[in-house]
Amino acid sequence: MAEQQGFMERHHFLLRRLHSLSGIVPIGVFLIVHLTTNASVIWGAANGRAAPYAADAAGRGVATFQHEVNFINNLPLLLLIEIFGLWLPIAFHVILGIVYAMTGSKNTQTYAYTGNKRYLLQRLSGYVGVLFIFYHVASLRWGWTFLVPNGTEWSHYFAASTLAAALKGEAGMWTTPGVIVAIFYFIGVSLLVYHFANGLWTAAITWGITVSEAAQKRWGYVCTAVGVVLMGTAWTALGGFLFAVDYDQARAVEEQIFIEHHGEEGLQKFMDNPVDEQAAATIHEAEPGDG
Amino acid sequence: MADKRVIVVGGGLAGLAATIRIAEAGVPVDLFSMTPVKRSHSVCAQGGINACNEVARQQGYSEYQHFDETLYGGDFLADQNPVLEMANWAPRIIDLLDRMGVPFNRTNEGRRDLRLFGGSLFKRTHFAGATTGQQLLYALDEQTRRFETEGKVNKFEWWEFLWPVIEGEGSDKRCVGIVAQDMRTMQVRAFRADAVVMATGGVGIVFGQSTNSVICTGGAASRCMQAGAWYGNAEMIQVHPTAIPGADKCRLMSESARGEGGRVWVPRKPGDTRDPMTIPVEERWYFLEERYPKYGNLVPRDIATREIFDVCVNEHMGIGGGNMVYLDLTHMDPDYLTRKLGGILDIYEKFAGADPRFTPMKIFPAVHYSMGGMWTTYEAGDYMPDAPMPEHVPGTPPPVDAEVGRGMVRGAPNNMMTNIEGLYAFGEVNFAYHGATRLGANALLSCIFDGLFCGEGVVNFVNNTGRSAADVAPSVYEAVVKQEEAKAERLIASAGPGGGDDPAYNAYIIGKEMGEVMTATSTVVKTEAGLESCLNTLAALRERYGKVRLSDTATWTNQTLSYARAVGDMLILAEAIARAGLLRKESRGSHYRTDYKDRDDTNFWKTSISRFNPDTGSVDVSFEPVRAGLVAPRPRTYGKDTHKETEKKETVAAG
Amino acid sequence: MSAIATETTKAAESTRTVHFRIKRCDGPGKPSRWEVFDVPVPAHANVISCLQWIAANPTTADGKATTPVVWESSCLEEVCGACTMVINGKVRQSCSCLMDEYAPNDGDTITLEPMSKFPVIRDLWVDRSRMFDALKRVRAWVPIDGTYSLGPGPMEGPKESETRYKLSECMTCGCCLEACPQYHLETDEAAWATSFIGAAPISQARLFNEHETGAVLKADRLEALMGPGGINDCGNAQNCVQVCPKEIPLTESIATIGRAATFEAFRRFFQSR
Repeated sequence: MAEQQGFMERHHFLLRRLHSLSGIVPIGVFLIVHLTTNASVIWGAANGRAAPYAADAAGRGVATFQHEVNFINNLPLLLLIEIFGLWLPIAFHVILGIVYAMTGSKNTQTYAYTGNKRYLLQRLSGYVGVLFIFYHVASLRWGWTFLVPNGTEWSHYFAASTLAAALKGEAGMWTTPGVIVAIFYFIGVSLLVYHFANGLWTAAITWGITVSEAAQKRWGYVCTAVGVVLMGTAWTALGGFLFAVDYDQARAVEEQIFIEHHGEEGLQKFMDNPVDEQAAATIHEAEPGDG
Repeated sequence: MADKRVIVVGGGLAGLAATIRIAEAGVPVDLFSMTPVKRSHSVCAQGGINACNEVARQQGYSEYQHFDETLYGGDFLADQNPVLEMANWAPRIIDLLDRMGVPFNRTNEGRRDLRLFGGSLFKRTHFAGATTGQQLLYALDEQTRRFETEGKVNKFEWWEFLWPVIEGEGSDKRCVGIVAQDMRTMQVRAFRADAVVMATGGVGIVFGQSTNSVICTGGAASRCMQAGAWYGNAEMIQVHPTAIPGADKCRLMSESARGEGGRVWVPRKPGDTRDPMTIPVEERWYFLEERYPKYGNLVPRDIATREIFDVCVNEHMGIGGGNMVYLDLTHMDPDYLTRKLGGILDIYEKFAGADPRFTPMKIFPAVHYSMGGMWTTYEAGDYMPDAPMPEHVPGTPPPVDAEVGRGMVRGAPNNMMTNIEGLYAFGEVNFAYHGATRLGANALLSCIFDGLFCGEGVVNFVNNTGRSAADVAPSVYEAVVKQEEAKAERLIASAGPGGGDDPAYNAYIIGKEMGEVMTATSTVVKTEAGLESCLNTLAALRERYGKVRLSDTATWTNQTLSYARAVGDMLILAEAIARAGLLRKESRGSHYRTDYKDRDDTNFWKTSISRFNPDTGSVDVSFEPVRAGLVAPRPRTYGKDTHKETEKKETVAAG
Repeated sequence: MSAIATETTKAAESTRTVHFRIKRCDGPGKPSRWEVFDVPVPAHANVISCLQWIAANPTTADGKATTPVVWESSCLEEVCGACTMVINGKVRQSCSCLMDEYAPNDGDTITLEPMSKFPVIRDLWVDRSRMFDALKRVRAWVPIDGTYSLGPGPMEGPKESETRYKLSECMTCGCCLEACPQYHLETDEAAWATSFIGAAPISQARLFNEHETGAVLKADRLEALMGPGGINDCGNAQNCVQVCPKEIPLTESIATIGRAATFEAFRRFFQSR
């Protein structure tokens, strides 16, 4: 009998629990790190070590963010970490999530309980979140610039400035497609934060950590707090790139940091051939005392 | 032996207990029920289940005392030996239920908690919250399901019992199966069995509204009676004094409401429709307190019932002119009430839509239980005193121990067998144990006792009988199938365009009128004139029933057919109840005749036996002596001295 | 008692007319249709008494003769679970559905539909066999050694007993399943074993796991609930606990079984042969 069952059936329990787990570790953890990093564009203003790069808060934020990005990009085996720590878990979580969500139905109109609405929103946020992550990664990570208003390509060397431009659609100003992209980011990021916080709450039931109704309620407050803080972080980051970053100033700060690492010559080389990954890699290797 | 089978009809406590016992012994059981067995009427029992227990024993109680109380409570109408065996088995039954996982209320030490109940000075009632019956039924349902998965029980749920298949003539008659109908597909089919256990419960629907479930029509018992089974003590119908009248049924309001200080009253002005809270105290008639200054609202159950009935029906003083009186708790602290009576007050609020903490409850007596039922016999056990014993004094050594077999012989094939060989009656449909009225919390006990104890006799019967149902000619079964198919077809054919339009021939209207006349004449207060007019009305209703017209011709899931057929059977059962009541010219237990107010042991210490006469189509009633000898009958006074009793009677007469 | 019903009807100042919109269906595979009945409703009526009136007077509001509405009922006290149906869109028992609350005014409308998660037999009568089948799947019983006299069962504290009593009040009515967005109509019996089992049987599994003798079958119950259609198919919408007429802590039961399943998984991985 067991032989005739499909893979999903045979490993039903394991897959379900891995799905639950993967949403927290590594995806949830990554989300926290990612949003915290991005929010550094604002909280970086308070970063004393960024003071040499700019006199004003916005500039210090850009500098801090750039340092964070550089740190990540300099991690050893970054690609392996990305593939096994991020892309595969996300793909796993997404594919199973869709399969599982398909088993549900919607009856919030009849049974308009908060829990039921949360259940529905968890699934909707999953679907929208997948689209958002795809857009986010495709446009910024894979360089599918045709998805970006005005075709700005994000560069991790000029993280804040290129990101702000990619979001708003123009280097220094808002465009209509840019507004749409920005709204999409706002919605996408918010829903993903909700998805994580609510997922954290339901996972505790799934694993049997919170059993009593009171415990579920208490843990609900904790998850709400996590969600609120994370939502604040996300909105801070997004707001920072949309409203706080001045393109030209940011560019200047970023160039200063680039030069610090790669020298004037490196910057010149990079500007000549920005898309040449190999050239960039060369620059990287040539850089002494990197870190 | 391998092909021997037993049919159990009814999946309440008695039916399931029998099923478990018989299946456990290796005899396959086919279990028939009109409803998924987990929804049987047993779920409605609230109070608990009586049994002698260690604490009570050390206080002077005993199984024998339980036996004595039960006989006394039943006004000595019950055959005595089975009651002794039942009381002796009660502690074992509680233990068994405990092992099955019934969540009995517990003490701090983890033992089963006990409560005080009517008819005893000892705490001997085990309970599980406010739904003991439900909890016991579920425990048996679970065990049945276990046997079902093991293939030892085959359930036929949503199958209606139509007729017993009986072969042979005279004393050689034996039951070899049943004919039943699938209530969904309407298929009529015969089922073979070497023994048939009827566990089909009470007859409440005969009285229209009662505390019973809608399936408690007594139809199955009536069909057995029409097929030749005897029906015992039909007139013994217990009426509970405080029920919540509803448009669909009456729901029980526990007597603890009066116990906690509830006052019963009606407005002094007949037909007063004012909000009860605005009626000043001097305009309220606390009739129980006025008529019984000593006992007030705490008069015994039967007296309370009769007084409420009298005030409403004879004096037309009920609320708004209707049949209801106030049971008032509003003078008491709401928090206290919640603490003491929370569960039952919630029931009232749920179904009456008013909070009894702030609005007086409207209550009226309602038909609750049938002590009468199919007549059964038994093999008496080895205890028989030289002379019938007087009242047992608590704390004195009982005249007999509680060993198995003192009251009935364990495993005897004829235990609770009807007058037809192979046809048994267990539970409420069995007339044994409760006599003329039933003690609270004894019903659950008798149901389970029948199933467990007498189920063993069924096993012995099918294993030891030389005859096998497998050898019975198919024509015997086919004849009954034909009879029932013809009955159904005749009813279906009656329905034409506009069928059911004429209320005179509408089964629902006939059923309603039957309920009304039965309630009015054959429950709380009975008179010769009333019962005679009742019999006339029933005859007229049967006349009309002969021309009944259905409003549904469907050959799929036709509930109208099922109900209409049952109405015909209920009319016959109603006749037995009324006729036996007419002929029992005495008052005993729940049977109260205003024209014969005293118990008459000389002429009526007898079981009434109703037999259906196929020639006349009516019911003949005869009286047989009660099988006694264990305890001498004594007046049922509950400690009141005769002086008080006389005083009360005078008050009643004067009122 | 009948006498009461008549008297109270007379005594009530007046009756009001309530329109009953009832979804009817003649049998499996037959199309559904709506019929409207104008029912004279006295004070203190409930849905059952109105359906009883319709049974005796089967004529629609526009005067057409029809058949009595078919529905399942038994105790009428909300302890048997039989008369569960969808009333004004929401699932509940019809016996405890009071007209004074649901249709207080003359001309109000009440809508009755059969439960949607179970196959319709006729009109409002549905077949909930799948629920009873589920009780077999989770071995919802205490495996006693037989019915012979073997002394009392295990001792149990009052708290534990109360917990089990609450769970044991489940009357298999199916409200929790009707309201569950993860539970679906399944007419194919072969698929019952892998379709989501729902809150009620999960809670019953907990009930018997928490009994000293019942716990003997704990591993079997978890085995049944850890596979497809089991505990993991719960989506935590928690409608079950909201609609349960007996206020059974179903979500606590689900979490309890979730915890047991977690431990069982580890036990199997590290311990079992």
